[in-house]
Amino acid sequence: MSRIVDIPAQFDDRGFEQFVAGIGAWPPEQRLFLDARGVQWSSPYSLLGLLTAGQAIREAKGEKPLLAIPTNDDVRSYWSRMRFFEHAADLFELHGKLPRPHRGGRQADTLLEITPVRASEDVQDVVGGIQEGAQRILTGDLGLEAKATMGFAMALSESCQNIVEHAGTGGWVAVQTYQYRRRLGGRRIAVIAVSDAGIGFRRSLEATQAKRFGDRWRDGTALEVALVQGVSRFRDPGRGQGFAGIKRYLQRWHGKISVRSGTARLAIVPPWDDDVPLVEHLAFFPGSQLQVTIPSQDTAAE
Amino acid sequence: MIETINVARVLREALAAPYRILVTRATGALVRDRIELKLKVSDCQAAVLDFREVELLDLSCADEVVAKLLRSGQSKFVAIAGLHEDLREQVHEVLEPQRLAVTIVHDDAGPELLGSVGEDARLAFAELRQGGCTCDELAQRLDWSAARARAALEALEGLRLAQHDDLGHTLIPFA
Repeated sequence: MSRIVDIPAQFDDRGFEQFVAGIGAWPPEQRLFLDARGVQWSSPYSLLGLLTAGQAIREAKGEKPLLAIPTNDDVRSYWSRMRFFEHAADLFELHGKLPRPHRGGRQADTLLEITPVRASEDVQDVVGGIQEGAQRILTGDLGLEAKATMGFAMALSESCQNIVEHAGTGGWVAVQTYQYRRRLGGRRIAVIAVSDAGIGFRRSLEATQAKRFGDRWRDGTALEVALVQGVSRFRDPGRGQGFAGIKRYLQRWHGKISVRSGTARLAIVPPWDDDVPLVEHLAFFPGSQLQVTIPSQDTAAE
Repeated sequence: MIETINVARVLREALAAPYRILVTRATGALVRDRIELKLKVSDCQAAVLDFREVELLDLSCADEVVAKLLRSGQSKFVAIAGLHEDLREQVHEVLEPQRLAVTIVHDDAGPELLGSVGEDARLAFAELRQGGCTCDELAQRLDWSAARARAALEALEGLRLAQHDDLGHTLIPFA
């Protein structure tokens, strides 16, 4: 017997939380039937999260979930050109009318389709592959200065390296620009989304940090230790600088970072957003999910 | 003798990738290993890492290539050349919290410092750019006590940014 989990029509980061809450206990005891037929809009972050759910179930030796794909042509087409179905075919039993595999060139709003990250070489390819496009999108679409491209590539590289260095398994990355409807008056944003099905921040830092916090050691504490205090599980003095570098970059360009791990989500929130910095007691989801958002420059001062 | 090491070339030798980007710890460690090997077999006293052809450097890689090389205890003096503004920022960000510093050499200007250097040591470095001097001479030039001048010069030596012999202190000759 399957357990039906609805994927919300607005499958953004909020919709993703609804989806996670719908899964319930982890790993799921029953086979999941993930119903995405009603999806009207989805973000790269939520698509990566969906793949991560499939990956985590497979790694937990669970039964392959069923996934009913969106009926909306535009959404299906978007999922196809982001190469979602190519990766999902291994992780889900897909149901519904699959679009033809996307054969055309990369769309102007996409810097990087969903790409697996398993090793350092993958990060090298990801960063090397987006350089030209990043320059075009950041300076053209988002009106940032040319030097913002370097920091963007750095943020992408350091975000992906968290998978390689800490997750203990593979993950996914995607980079896209789109109009941000919820805030910023519909202006454009560039988004780096990274997700893995690994051990998460709490377990990664447990051996070196848990004793400091005693009973207060939980997912939210681990995120604060890593993101705010810049602590790494490695004792090497040069470690833990990745998040510090990303935060400096985001501060300069009024960007936002949010990281979800286990049952908590921590965000460094810029003035244009009203997100809550720390949310705890969320439904559990495996691994870590990171989202970096860079707004177009004309919105930065708002 | 000064050995100049083209970092982009080392990267190409280390990886069969077409990019001129230095990203990830693993890549940085590979590049540093090769640089250390070059320094080991070279009879040079000092080496200049030339970043001119490097287009991108992330913090993890900067830590592996530059900070760990400076911390490695290898005997050669090391300077950096060809860092454009963005790469320079990344190198500074990894050196600063680790209290490390490196000499930046330019084709058309005198050497400068990058990283974590105290104010007195920075002033002493600027004086040494004009020419070598003893502790007493530095104290006289800057109107400092001899102890303050000695501490500043020793700080530069500790960071391997200066050296001394019987005649006094000098910057490392990287050119």
